[in-house]
Order: sequence, then structure tokens, then C-alpha cells
Amino acid sequence: MPSDEAQQLDALALFENAPCGLVVTKEDGTILRANLTFSQWIGFSERELCDRRFQDLLTMGGRIFHQTHWAPLMRLQGSVAEVKLDLLHSERRTFTVLLNGVRHERANGVQHELALFSITDRDKYERELLKARKLAENLLQQKSAAETELRIAQAELSKAFEDAQKRASFAEQMVAIVSHDLKNPLTAIKMSADVLAQGERTARETNLLGFITQSARRAERLISDLLDFTLVRVGRGIVVSRLSLDFHSLVRQSAEELRVSFPKARIVHNSLGTGTARLDADRLHQLIGNLVGNSVTYGDLEQPISITSQLEGGMARLSVHNYGAAIPPSFIAKLFEPMTRGADAQNGVRSVGLGLFIVREIAKAHGGRVSVSSDEMSGTSFTVSFPLS
Amino acid sequence: MDLKDRNNVNVMGGGPATLIFSHGFGCDQTMWRYLTGLFADHFRVVVYDLVGAGRSDIGAYDWRRYDSLAGYAQDLNEIIDQFAIGQVILIGHSVSAMIDVLADRLVAGRVAAHIMVGPSPCYVDFDDYVGGFTLDDIQSLLDSLDDNYLGWSSNMAPVIMGAPGQPELGAELTNSFCRTDPEIAKHFARVTFLSDNRADVSGLATPTLILQSTDDLIAPVVVGEYLRNTMPNSTLVLVDNVGHCPHMSAPGACADAMDIFLQPWKSLDAQR
Repeated sequence: MPSDEAQQLDALALFENAPCGLVVTKEDGTILRANLTFSQWIGFSERELCDRRFQDLLTMGGRIFHQTHWAPLMRLQGSVAEVKLDLLHSERRTFTVLLNGVRHERANGVQHELALFSITDRDKYERELLKARKLAENLLQQKSAAETELRIAQAELSKAFEDAQKRASFAEQMVAIVSHDLKNPLTAIKMSADVLAQGERTARETNLLGFITQSARRAERLISDLLDFTLVRVGRGIVVSRLSLDFHSLVRQSAEELRVSFPKARIVHNSLGTGTARLDADRLHQLIGNLVGNSVTYGDLEQPISITSQLEGGMARLSVHNYGAAIPPSFIAKLFEPMTRGADAQNGVRSVGLGLFIVREIAKAHGGRVSVSSDEMSGTSFTVSFPLS
Repeated sequence: MDLKDRNNVNVMGGGPATLIFSHGFGCDQTMWRYLTGLFADHFRVVVYDLVGAGRSDIGAYDWRRYDSLAGYAQDLNEIIDQFAIGQVILIGHSVSAMIDVLADRLVAGRVAAHIMVGPSPCYVDFDDYVGGFTLDDIQSLLDSLDDNYLGWSSNMAPVIMGAPGQPELGAELTNSFCRTDPEIAKHFARVTFLSDNRADVSGLATPTLILQSTDDLIAPVVVGEYLRNTMPNSTLVLVDNVGHCPHMSAPGACADAMDIFLQPWKSLDAQR
């Protein structure tokens, strides 16, 4: 049986060499006792420690944390558990501990009894965990930010699409209304001029009636161009209905009509090869009309404008040629874009530059293409090629 | 939004004037428990938790609203409108002393007096001004909060290792005290310790009692002196105490000073 004294000695040894730091302080943190384990960890002897407050052994962050968190907790709750703190070693390096503390009211006043566990390795592991958590949170934040942006962009896009649809349908309606409303009075003008031309007229009157008819036809063509342009622009494209027909006779008929429309021009037609092609007759008349109209406006009218229709190698080819000033090379690239006008066509003969744009669109609608060559010597030639079927 | 739920508002006692207690960083209204009972006989006493702290509605934590102390000051004015009767005396610990000042500045004439416990208008040193901390110190605090991420969870549901001398303290209180979402705690720490309210306290004429601990790391005596010098109707009383919470560790001395300061509002009652 060990004596009481031996038991007390054992208790003291247990206190001093406990596998954790043990510290007893006053309520204000002044250290009353610290065990050997703690003084070895912190690098101060127990005597040195007894002049200090426990919180003075903490980093600044730890001190504020002590003041704002665990000191009030000790007062209110009587204990704290698992508070992680960085202690400052006497050599100023830090080491990390976990603190449990109890507040006791002893005979000689209030005491705080603290047990500290070194957790350097666990701390490293926790920091890794924390880092991973932060990274995951950042990634999540980035992801949700990206998703939000995407949603906003999608909403904007669908709004823009809706607006564009509305504008397009409005434009279509406008053009349909305008072209319909303009066609009727033009038809009336043409018919009236025809009726007047049937009677006996002076040369001057006949001349004037010819102007009226030509102008009305030109206005009709422009309206039709405008309608087509709008249809292409709103995404519908030019609609063609193709029928198998005699290519050469179609072009010949077109040339005859154009001779009436442009009496000042000398229009010749040449044909090569024989056969049929699947084409939209009205559209082809429109295409030829636009090309010849272009030649009349920009070409040299002292020399003939020649229309050539050619069937060869599964292709139908149509070209319109005129002499005169060449198209500047810089201009060729944008020749088929809408609203493009020749530099010397400022006399108001042609209003908007839609003609060649429509030519290209008609060619495209037939699965064909249009090309141009132009120089001072050999003149300007537009060639449209269509596949036969 | 019901204010009572949002800020866990509790009203007790009764009297011609209302005392509203605002807790500081790191805690909740529980910290006032040593004082409120002493004043409930003569005053209407209102305590509440700042949004994000204690038993406030965490769901009401708006990261933009609470990105400056002004958001908390707006909350306080709403609480004054709904819960105060008669003259209003604001009692604020630590950062809440500045929230009280901002509330006073926002609605002039509504606040009759301030009692500031361990106040500081600015924690960081600037030129001639001594707040007690460098920016590095504040960063170190924010790091500590980060480090204690796992430790916090135990504060949220603390192991009661026996609370001798505090038998009256039930588990209910224990579980709410210092219960804070770690991210909100960090945000509040940043807003608190980086705030500069020197312009707001300067020239504030509302009668003010400043209670300062003789040894307080967070609000040193020089800061109390600075406040007394900048507020014309202020009185500085030093409480012999170590630490930032004299109302908890030296409640008797605090109550004595407050009682003297509050006489004018108490006598209103006596004159009836």
C-alpha cells in the first residue's frame, strides 16, 4: 500500500510530465502554474511563465480571438473545448495547440484550468482540408457565375432574336403593302398610255407616251427588286419555281422586250448549242432585265449590248456584254452587295443599287453563280451559269 | 420580415425610457445578462442579436447590406421604431458602439444618450491616430478565424465540461452563444476591424458615457481618451479590468457608472 505522501508525489509527477500542457491562470489570464511539458514546449521556465498572462503567449490574431470569443465563453459557459491556437515559442516560432479549458471558483478566487494538446501534424492536415475546401468553393463560385452569365446572355439573345423576328415580319408586311399599293396605279398608268398610243398622235406625243411607258416599267422593276431584296434580307430568300423550258427562246423573248424598254440601246442576242433547262422564266427575265439595265446605265451605247445564251457540258450559261469604261478593280469585290452604285451613275437614272444583288440571289436560288470580268479594251461582261437540272 | 425573428429581439422590464443593448463582435445578447436585470426595474430594456450572430435569422444575412456597419445601423433604427417607448438610450459593446453612433447620425434627435462599452472608432493605426493594431495584426486575426474553422464547430455545440459557479446557465444559452457561421464571422470581422468611424464620432453632441477597461488589448485607454476629446458631451470612466468585456468580468463597476449616468432619465419616472 503506498502512503498518502507517495500518492501525492505520483500526482505531482503526473501533473508535471502529463502528455499534454497543463496551465492554471487567474481570471485575467495571469499564469499561476504551468507543468513541465508546457514549459518545454513553449521554451520558458515555469518561473518565467509565472510573470506572464497566458494570452501574451499567443499570436496577435489569437489574442483578439481570446478577447472576443473564448474569454467571454469561459465567463458565461464555464468552459471551452477544442479551441485552436498558435502559441509563440520563446524563440518566436509558432506552434499550434488545441485548448480545452474549465473555469473553477476556488477558495482563493476564480481559476482557469487549461489543457493543451500539440497538434502540429493535425494542423497541417486541417490546413490542407481548408485549402481544398476553399478551392472547391472558388470553383463552385466560378461555375455559378459562369452559369448566371450564360443565362443572361441566353435571355439577351432570345430577346434580340424575338426583336429581329418582329422587325423582319414588320418589314415584310411593309414591302408587301407598298409594292401592292404601287403596282395598281402603275398598271393604270401603263394601260392609259397604251390606250392613248392607239389613237392618232403627233411625233412629240408618241415620244412622251413612250417615256411614260418606260418609266412605269422601270418603276415596276424597282418595286420587284425591293420586294426581293427584303425577302432575302429577312431570311426567306428568293423563291423560284423551275420548269423545263427552251433556254434560247426564253432569252430571245427577253431581248425583244428589252429592245422596247431601252429603244436607245442596240441589243443583240447570240445562242450556242441547243436544248432545254430547268429555270423559273419570270426570274430569268428579271435577271436579264437587271443585267441589260446595268449595261444601259454604265455602258457605251454607241456599241451593241450582246446577250449570249449557251448550253454546254450540263450547264446553261448566260452572259451580257457591253463596251465602255471598265469597272474599277476596287469596286468589283462589293459589286453584288446591296446599295452599291457605280461611281458615274449620279444622274438619278437608277435609284438604289439592288439590281446586281438580285441577279446574284436569283442565280443562287437556281443553284448557279455569277461572275464578272471588266477591262477598258474588251469591255464588261457578266456571266451567269446554271446547272441544267 | 418580422424584426423580432430577424434580430431575436427580447424586451423586458418597463419605464419611461428605453435602453437598447447591442452586443459586440464574437458574441450575442447573452453577454448582457449580468447587466440587464439591474436596469429592468427602471427602464424598458431591449436586447437583440446582430443579424448573423446568436439566434438571429441567418437567412436574413445579406452580404451587401452587412458589408458596412451602416447596414446594422439601419437594422437598429428599425428596432428603435418598433420596440422603443419614450427616450432612447443606446448601449453598445465594442463595434456596436459605432453601430449606435451611425444609427444616431442617420436619424438625428432620436437617440437621447449613448453608453459605449470598450468602444473604438478605428482599430488600425493611422498617422497620428493610435488604434492599437496594424493591418498585419488584423490579417492575423482573420487567419485565426480561418484556422479555427474546425474549432468553431465545437463552439457551436460545446462540450460542457462542468460549469461550476454558473449553475443557472442552461444548455439552451450555452448552445446559442458564439454560434456563428464561420464565413459570416469572417465577413463581420473584416467589416468590424477595418472600419473607420472617426468622422462619425467627431463632434457628436449626444450625451455619452464611455466605459473603458484599464487593460484592454482591443480598445486601449488612449482610444477612450481620443473619443472623449472628440465628442463634446462625453464622459470617460475607466473600469479596473483586464480584457475587452468589463460588462461581463466587472459588471458591478460598470453598473455603478451607468446608474449615475442614467439618473436624468430615471428621474423622469420619479417626477410623475
